[in-house]
Amino acid sequence: MTPYSGLGFFFALALALLPVVVLGLRGKNLRVCGSLVTAVMLLLIFDTPRKLLTLALFWLWQLVLIFVYLRVRKRSEKRYVLWIFLLLSLQPLVFTKLSVFVQELSVFSMLGISYVSFRAVQILVEIYDGHLTKLCPLDVSYFLLFFASILSGPLDRYQRFSADLQKTRSPEEYETLVKEGLWRLATGAIYNFVLGNLIWQYWVSCMPDTLFGTLGYMYGYTLFMFFNFAGYSRMAIGTAYLLGIEQPENFNQPFRSVDMKDFWSRWHISLSTFLRDYVYTRFCMAALRGKWFKERRTCSYLGYILTMLVMGLWHGLTGAYLVYGAYHGLLMCANDILDTRCKKFKALKKDPRASWWLRLLTLHLFSFGLLIFSGRLF
Amino acid sequence: MIDQVLTAICEIAGADEGEIAPDTELFEEGILDSFGLVELLVQLESFGRRLDVANLTREEISTPAKIAALLE
Repeated sequence: MTPYSGLGFFFALALALLPVVVLGLRGKNLRVCGSLVTAVMLLLIFDTPRKLLTLALFWLWQLVLIFVYLRVRKRSEKRYVLWIFLLLSLQPLVFTKLSVFVQELSVFSMLGISYVSFRAVQILVEIYDGHLTKLCPLDVSYFLLFFASILSGPLDRYQRFSADLQKTRSPEEYETLVKEGLWRLATGAIYNFVLGNLIWQYWVSCMPDTLFGTLGYMYGYTLFMFFNFAGYSRMAIGTAYLLGIEQPENFNQPFRSVDMKDFWSRWHISLSTFLRDYVYTRFCMAALRGKWFKERRTCSYLGYILTMLVMGLWHGLTGAYLVYGAYHGLLMCANDILDTRCKKFKALKKDPRASWWLRLLTLHLFSFGLLIFSGRLF
Repeated sequence: MIDQVLTAICEIAGADEGEIAPDTELFEEGILDSFGLVELLVQLESFGRRLDVANLTREEISTPAKIAALLE
């Protein structure tokens, strides 16, 4: 059963959440009950013995790596040790992505593997940084396998997530959370099932394979991706709220963005901030500390290209995703150059009238990126 | 600490001393971008201070005063 896919899922979700809501409204802590709900929902989502076995092996693999590294880190601060654990943690994901070339590797594929792998990576990096020195296996498992956002995010942070698990809210506080959660679930369902599906059925799938048809497809696909993806995110966040977990918002009016940097702070926010904190910032810090480049800003340009390539390839190892990543890397570099060398650009962004033209341009740049992403061009 | 933070930010942004106040909105005003923040982190390391930006929101580090308070 795919999460948020039909009435069967929502019926099961409502039944599973009922005891959580009752406990929450009585002012109880929801950590244990929420873990049990996640376990039940995972049994429904991974609904064949083979899928369940893959999930169990993957979960144990990540859990062992995390707890072994927690012990190793107390004795060794070496960065290469972290890299070994990161590569081991990412191995199932890499094999899954490589299965487009080597069919046999598809044995590693699992629903939600991209998100769960990044959750594990984040814990390993936080252990290396010394921010996590003690971990509870139940909380780590709950975080890694949190069913609500396993399909398409948001990508939460362990420290934020575990802080929510410790909270015991008053009945009034939890009631507010339930109302906000239900609102997100309802609006997410409208985004995804009504608007997304209508746009796909009556717009995107009808576009002929001509120049104007491709242009129409580009606009339609952009709107479809927004309503589909933002809809999933809203439903995931709404479900998490009912479990007492205030997952971060994943979209914030992305079509109001005045440039690409602004755009990535509004679209799939949890992934872009994850990549900013764990790829871009760390690459640039290493490059600055090691004085790798004469021109300091070169660190930033290469950081953007690297980050966006990771973002593209995270979706899959195909030419379209590679080009999509490279395209956004180059756009971010161009944005950076304009920001640092063109004072007029900054002024235009603040000008109420001119900023509308920039919004239109940003929308088109992103839409073209999605056209590449869709694989329709090549 | 606030003086060290202000000096570092002025140097990174190419601004004159006094041009940036403790409560200046660094990201909203376009004084620091993602790379500017990285440069600040590296400078802070040279003072022996570390800021865990991965677990802080931009709002929590939006002004020199907030950054200095976190480093105190």
